[in-house]
Amino acid sequence: MKRKSIAVILAAVLTLSLMGCGAKQEAAQPAAEETTETAEEAPAAEAPAADASADGNTLTVWCWDPAFNIYAMEQAAEVYKEKNPDFVLNVVETPWADIQTKLTTAATSSDLSSLPDIMLLQDNAFQKNVISYPDAFTDISSSGIAFDQFGAAKLAYSTVGGKNYGVPFDNGAVISCVRTDVLEKAGYTVDDFTDITWSRYIEIGKDVLAKTGTPMLSMQAGETDLIMMMLQSAGGSLFDAEGNPTIVNNAVLAEVMSVYQELIKSGVLIEVNDWDQYIGTLTNSTVAGTINGCWILASIQTAADQSGKWAITNMPKLETVDGATNYSNNGGSSWVVTSNCKNVELATDFLGSTFAGSVKFYETILPSSGALATYLPAADSSVYAEPQVFFNDQAIYSLITEFAGKVPSNNTGVYYYEARDAVATALTNVVNGADIASELQAAEDTVKFQMGQ
Amino acid sequence: MIKFKRSFQYIFLTIVSFISVFPLFWMVISATNTSLDVTRGVMVPGMALFENFQKLISVQNVSQAMMNSFKYAIILTLSSLCICSLAGYGFEIFHDKGKDFVMAIILLAMMVPFAATMIPLFQMFSKAGLLNTTAGFMLPTISTPFLIMLFRQSARSFPHDIIEAARIDGLNEFQIFYKMFFPTMRSTYAAAMTITFMNAWNNYLWPKVIMTDQKSITMPMLVANLTEGYVTDYGVLMLGVLLCTIPTIIIFFVLQKSFAEGITGAVK
Amino acid sequence: MSRANKKTSQKLTLSKKQNISGWFFLMPATFLIAIMSFIPMFRALILSFKTGVGNNLKWAGVFNYQRLGQDTVFIQALKNNFIYLLIQVPIMLLLALVLASMLNNKHLRFKGLFRTAIFLPCATSLVSYAIIFRSLFAVDGFVNLILIKLGFLEVGYNFLAHPNSARMVIILALIWRWTGYNMVFYLAGLQNIEYSVYEAAMIDGASPIKTFFKITVPLLKPTILLTAIMSTNGTLQLFDESVNLTNGGPANATITMSHYIYNLSFKYVPNFGYAAAMSYLILILVAVLAFVQMKVGDKRD
Repeated sequence: MKRKSIAVILAAVLTLSLMGCGAKQEAAQPAAEETTETAEEAPAAEAPAADASADGNTLTVWCWDPAFNIYAMEQAAEVYKEKNPDFVLNVVETPWADIQTKLTTAATSSDLSSLPDIMLLQDNAFQKNVISYPDAFTDISSSGIAFDQFGAAKLAYSTVGGKNYGVPFDNGAVISCVRTDVLEKAGYTVDDFTDITWSRYIEIGKDVLAKTGTPMLSMQAGETDLIMMMLQSAGGSLFDAEGNPTIVNNAVLAEVMSVYQELIKSGVLIEVNDWDQYIGTLTNSTVAGTINGCWILASIQTAADQSGKWAITNMPKLETVDGATNYSNNGGSSWVVTSNCKNVELATDFLGSTFAGSVKFYETILPSSGALATYLPAADSSVYAEPQVFFNDQAIYSLITEFAGKVPSNNTGVYYYEARDAVATALTNVVNGADIASELQAAEDTVKFQMGQ
Repeated sequence: MIKFKRSFQYIFLTIVSFISVFPLFWMVISATNTSLDVTRGVMVPGMALFENFQKLISVQNVSQAMMNSFKYAIILTLSSLCICSLAGYGFEIFHDKGKDFVMAIILLAMMVPFAATMIPLFQMFSKAGLLNTTAGFMLPTISTPFLIMLFRQSARSFPHDIIEAARIDGLNEFQIFYKMFFPTMRSTYAAAMTITFMNAWNNYLWPKVIMTDQKSITMPMLVANLTEGYVTDYGVLMLGVLLCTIPTIIIFFVLQKSFAEGITGAVK
Repeated sequence: MSRANKKTSQKLTLSKKQNISGWFFLMPATFLIAIMSFIPMFRALILSFKTGVGNNLKWAGVFNYQRLGQDTVFIQALKNNFIYLLIQVPIMLLLALVLASMLNNKHLRFKGLFRTAIFLPCATSLVSYAIIFRSLFAVDGFVNLILIKLGFLEVGYNFLAHPNSARMVIILALIWRWTGYNMVFYLAGLQNIEYSVYEAAMIDGASPIKTFFKITVPLLKPTILLTAIMSTNGTLQLFDESVNLTNGGPANATITMSHYIYNLSFKYVPNFGYAAAMSYLILILVAVLAFVQMKVGDKRD
């Protein structure tokens, strides 16, 4: 018996692999020569490509969070079906890291047939991808989508060379969250944290720490989220308009670094080692607040026993630099139409009449997903003005939308992640006592090296 | 004295086992707790197992992922064992300069990080229409230098006299392989099966590149889906991770006797 | 080698026939590897002589290879990889050998349980074990708690925030995860050693340590070679731990070459030519080490 089964399996495997090989060898040969150019995309078309819009009424979408953007997409499909009943939406749940890997792999192979019609891109990675793989995306500037209905800072992420490549989706406006019950013990209210500077924040933070033993903030060590938020709040960037790194001789960055150093030194900010521990410091009441993109609210609200004890306000601003504000952004994403989309008209019409055209749609998704619009007309909706019990009856959504409108634009540059990692290294060393100027110099050298291909 | 030594062994093994099992234990505990309790470091079993399970199946198609993973892993393991044990046997029993050289070249194939060969491979597979197929999932990992070498090294202890005797008895080379070598090397096959199954089951980078269809999702991809998003539900995540781990553990537990208490002496 | 030669002179036609059937045994596997590995590898090699953003590439000769020497992050990664290799691999293999020979004892009870327990770590999902290791070594984590209780420390030490202790955590994690994996091969290999050899040694009054070095290690040599090559390869291509445990930090103190390659390909502005050049450097390093190991350990008696 054993003998037979082995023989059968062997035979099956052999035929299988031989069949596969025959097909592949001929495919591999021409491919070897054309690495340089995008020469031939055509032959791939016969392959049973991912079910892109074959029947003219189906759109395939990649995004990643069932409670958030997948939910929003599905609701958008419902809204769109009202006027287009045959419409079919096929959402493939794909984590962001996987979208990036698949996109890079497909685009580098010059074989875009595996891409969906629409996918969600992180704003920070938007410029990098569009500039590296211009062939993979569709310019939708003239599609009739009303781009002027979005906040300028948000729209800037998905605009490359003056052309619109994306429809903005979720909001990453920065909020400063505080635990009112802890502050009360130290004699403060949320108003003491509104429209203040960082030195005031540190001053109050020290007092709160002394009186209650609770630090104000926690951050993930080696991550530059807070640095980038502070930087953008004063319109700063790690690159100049031409895309050259400006890490050295960057007054904003220098101040940001010293504020961060001071936060650590005073004990107002504690560093933890990873994201899970960071969330833990919030739900465990280890800290009395946090500063992050408004999407952090969803995690804060998992601690139901803290209901009524939180309040939000705007973030502190830098002092000595020009253009400093109390507003910034962290995270967020936008929808892109890929060039594998066979029915661009359907895709843009769908996005244009939902994500960029329906206040009702945003009203539907807000209550259960907390997905905050960057679509400006949505801010006037009464749903956004509802007081939220968890936040002591603050109308947080209209407040956040108001913040979002005041965020200075951020020049991410193409080499955003390179610069961010280099600054993270510098930051770690600075926190451990290294000299700011020389660390920033080293960071700039690293980025310049990585840019010099 | 012997008693002392023996109890020392037990103590040592118990400590090592405890350290090894601890994360699994934590995983089981966490799967029964709410996300909030997990982030708060609660270490006692909670009441949320059922709730977590319901949440998990409401957002993820667990049965589909399980079935896919089993299908891929089983087919891959069986075909891989056949092909690689044949090769390993061939490399050792019929070894000469040429084959030793080929073996050395084959070993090179595992020394380049997969990130570098993934893109050319994807290009080949996409052109051959193998995206979203079982064959596409399996082909790159059926024949691995590692398994070939494992069988080559274990064939080294396979007595040559037996082969000679079998040849005199009129068995052809292939018959010698499956009548003599295969049953004798049961322990190696069992060990190889455990490891190959585990690797196939946990394979992640390649499937995530070539599987672009919601229906082709595997368990590790499902777990990755759970960690993405602005809020991670740690209770649900740990339940997913647990479900993803159990099959490998069962396979190991079932097979461990065969490879650790093999049929010593049967062919000596 | 010599035995093979002798055979050839004795019966030429027969050995020729065997030689041919030998190639038949290898064919399917070799063929698959040629297509699935060597074609992509060849194309990666070509890529390593090109440079540019995305797939807008042009010839650059050995430029990418020259760049490696000036890349501070890469040099740091290379150093880290070798630290892991030199410390972790010997400890792990020795531990696996010791455990395997303990568990090979016929008279030991609960063997199945012990074996399964020790194998568990490599089956445990990376997600959960990364979370656990990070929380164990957190400032207020379990390890610090013990050290403070025992009086070694006054306040918690942040293991993951200091280069050497962070590397130590990675090494511990690697040992934890892969010892049971290697043990499996030793256990399987030990089945080919007749148990009576041990019993004879025991009757002769040989100490367990002597038995271990005089009997177990020499007889397991082919398997030890296998695991040594595999572990060398695995460590120089280490990726998961660097990404999930420390994310390369603090300040790149724990980043590995594969992690950096991944960043260059999928996180940063893609620079595949450079990433491919780095991959080929890893190939050369592993190949040289494997060659040395085979020279030392791959002799047919």
